[in-house]
Amino acid sequence: MAHREENDVYTIQTFNLAKRFTKKKHKGIFGFLRRNQRKEKVKTKNSDVVVALDHVNVNVRSSELFGLLGPNGAGKTTLVKCLSTILIPDKGTAVINGFDILKQTSMVRASLGMVIGGERTLYWKLTARDNLMYFASLYKMPRKETKDRVEELLSIMQLSDRGDERLEDYSTGMRQKIAIARSLLHDPPILLLDEPTLGLDPTFSRQIRSQIKELAEKQGKTILLATHYMEEADQLCDRVAVINNGKVIAIDTSDNLKALVKETELVEIACYNPPPDIKMHIEKRLKDVKIVKLIHGDEKKGSPSRIKLIGGNAEKHISAVMDMLRQKNTRICSLNIGAPTLEDVFIKLTGAKLTETEPGELRV
Amino acid sequence: MNLKDTSGKVHKLREVKCPTGFTWSNIKAELRAIWESNIKIWKLDLAYPISFVRQCISPFVFLLPFIIYGLAVIGGRHSENLERLVGTGDVVTFVFTGYMIIGFIGTAVWAMGFSIRREQWFGTLESLYVTPTSRLSLVLGMALHSTIHQSLGTAIEFAAIYLIFGLALQIQGILPALLIFALMMLALYGFGILVSALSLILKEGWIVAEGLHSIMMILSPVAYPLIVLPTIAQQASSVLPTAPALVGMRAFLIENYTPQVVGNIFLHLLALDVIWILFGIFIFYLTDIYIRKTGNLAKY
Amino acid sequence: MKERIMQQSSLRSNYIIVWSEIVKNLKFLLAYPVVFIFWAIFPIFWFIPFILQGEAFVGGLQSQSFAEIAGTAEFIPFVILGAVLNSYVLTSLYGMGESIRREAYRGTLDYILSSPCNKAFILIGKALSESISSSIFAFTQLAICILFFGIALTIGVIIPVIFIVILLILGLYGMALILAALSLRYKQAHDLAHTMEYVFSVFSPVRYPLASLPLWAQILGKILPLTYALIAVRSIMLLNQNLSALYLEVLALLVIDGVAIFLGFYLFNWMEEKTKKSGTISNF
Repeated sequence: MAHREENDVYTIQTFNLAKRFTKKKHKGIFGFLRRNQRKEKVKTKNSDVVVALDHVNVNVRSSELFGLLGPNGAGKTTLVKCLSTILIPDKGTAVINGFDILKQTSMVRASLGMVIGGERTLYWKLTARDNLMYFASLYKMPRKETKDRVEELLSIMQLSDRGDERLEDYSTGMRQKIAIARSLLHDPPILLLDEPTLGLDPTFSRQIRSQIKELAEKQGKTILLATHYMEEADQLCDRVAVINNGKVIAIDTSDNLKALVKETELVEIACYNPPPDIKMHIEKRLKDVKIVKLIHGDEKKGSPSRIKLIGGNAEKHISAVMDMLRQKNTRICSLNIGAPTLEDVFIKLTGAKLTETEPGELRV
Repeated sequence: MNLKDTSGKVHKLREVKCPTGFTWSNIKAELRAIWESNIKIWKLDLAYPISFVRQCISPFVFLLPFIIYGLAVIGGRHSENLERLVGTGDVVTFVFTGYMIIGFIGTAVWAMGFSIRREQWFGTLESLYVTPTSRLSLVLGMALHSTIHQSLGTAIEFAAIYLIFGLALQIQGILPALLIFALMMLALYGFGILVSALSLILKEGWIVAEGLHSIMMILSPVAYPLIVLPTIAQQASSVLPTAPALVGMRAFLIENYTPQVVGNIFLHLLALDVIWILFGIFIFYLTDIYIRKTGNLAKY
Repeated sequence: MKERIMQQSSLRSNYIIVWSEIVKNLKFLLAYPVVFIFWAIFPIFWFIPFILQGEAFVGGLQSQSFAEIAGTAEFIPFVILGAVLNSYVLTSLYGMGESIRREAYRGTLDYILSSPCNKAFILIGKALSESISSSIFAFTQLAICILFFGIALTIGVIIPVIFIVILLILGLYGMALILAALSLRYKQAHDLAHTMEYVFSVFSPVRYPLASLPLWAQILGKILPLTYALIAVRSIMLLNQNLSALYLEVLALLVIDGVAIFLGFYLFNWMEEKTKKSGTISNF
């Protein structure tokens, strides 16, 4: 983004990170009877091994808001866990704020703040203040600074007046705000956010997103945001890495990624009395347009007909189609351009949809 | 910490304040984390007041049947056979001095052993594991809480038994008995660290804990002297800190108590402390690496 | 539609509810074989200290003082029978209340409560499955004790003992229903179960005869079904008495069973209504 100076200093760097998991199958009480049968299966089909990370190389610049976009089970959480030292990779390593995740775990942990999506990452039976005070001690913050810092964060989260209530009385969104406050306690240079808006209502999601943006822009935090919400990645992130089946398949700015799927841009023109052969004319003149549709409206009742063009460069096509319609004295009433989304990028790159996963798929 | 960019220009990275290694500031920070973990568990405990009160009186309730049963089988509180075996025939004092440490076995096996598992159940374990505090400090925080909690229960137990039955204890023996108790607790902490590691990797960890608890209860001379156990069980009991500790504590607390071996009890306990603590920490770190490799941290 | 509703309340459908609940719970039990083996064997370790303690204090396996108040000088079979019967208290009291909590934890409680069947039959199913598992465990423990601790068991005593155990279980069901009712509304109902367990373990003659307690404690002990069941089973198995000689204990058990079951059902239905109104079903 233009407001932040681009640099080549990477505060998060991964080097060929690889991680596999072995799925255990439920045996049941008589599982031992079927042991031989299963052994054969393992030999013939390697279906029990899930590749969570496949030689991932990601470099995140200092103060960058970097998105990790992929469906559930793509490997986002595994990457975040490896970076946070919760998980040891099978191969490769990563450097966080200059510290190696395998050799300097304490300093890596001290350099990071982490927010994990989901309900129970805090003590519900403790108050917000108690939770923050406790975690401050685990981040080895000096006692003198702790109280002021906790108050400051509660005030940033607009929860100062409710700080003495137990988290069980909070809404999900408020609890997530406390989880973010916790990640900021020790003022870390880097934040790892794993699905921070998961399960939140739209109002809280918006609030949390604007807070994330502020943290990057005003406080210069380096943020790695793992999400499966494409709008979130699109709106917030300076650059986005698209990840699927443990592989990073593209890294770029959102605009550049979308440029990969220009052909999916959609132009829709609503008009009255379009010439019946307009479809043929457009197809003849604009060769790169893939689909042209003419949908007749009930014009007598005020519902216009619609011409839809999918594919090619929308900007170039608009004037050509308008000229054609004007020549035939067609009255144009509205014009819409549907820009491609990161979902389209994902479909183009993987052939799969971003928002749909197989039921019961393992989230790694 | 500095980093060079692709053009060779050196950039200074944000300095992170976090004490590490064997420095005084780090030890202080870890000790504070232990203390705050203890406070946190007190707060969580007190969120369930009825349960808290019940836990405080439970040592007394569990002890009561042992005493009444003892009185019933001998038809009074003086057992000639016990006197012949250990020098004292007062079954109430004998059972009380044995039973008061049982709760502390529970500290090691249950409270410490399941401290990490409990966090897993709360869903907070990953949040704790991403902090720079040592995982051992988290377990020791739980140990501290449980020791204080258990001491409170034992004090209530003592007061109740003293008021109902009366106890014949030697006041001057309390200090050396406390020293033996402290040595026993150190070894039990080592044991607790070991169980906390096992509870994370074993799906049915509670069965291991319950099994160990029951075996320790049988192999320790809680309600009977060791001599009534088969020889092999007597030998096995010497690897547990509770057996020498009970013999030693009774030697100081009960008048006329004549244990077979008292002389080397301090050395015996010291050796067990070193062995159990080192072994516990060793297994704990092995398990930590195993869990971080297999990614089983958030699963319950 | 009307026919279906009628069908739902028929005897057969209630039988199906109870049967499905039993099958479901037993499947859960079998899904954890280690847990199964644990409960079948481990309770024995909990009464071994009592046996060793008795030996150390008395200097033998028989105590004359014990015989004066217990009727039998052999304290080891006394303790073993107490422990085995007491295991029904544990599973009955925790089993039902805990099974409600487990449904809430799994998130299935709301669906169960919103189903059209009578919830009391679900509870009966839960209780029966607890009793079946308790009986399997008790039988295993008894078998081990016959092998290792020399407990004598003649064929003739089996039927009267089973009769007494059934009467005990019915009383415990009543108490468990009361606990289950409370656990619908109060988060800490399991603490109440623990407290009741304490009461049973201290005031019933589980490890010592009732006569070794002070008078007020003996009176309290006499409103607990376990007390009468223990006296009856020990009289049958250790003193070779006939069931006819134990008519007072049987009568006392029948009265306690009736009162506890009536109270349990009444309280459960009342609490269920209250819970539906206040909407605190799943707040565990």
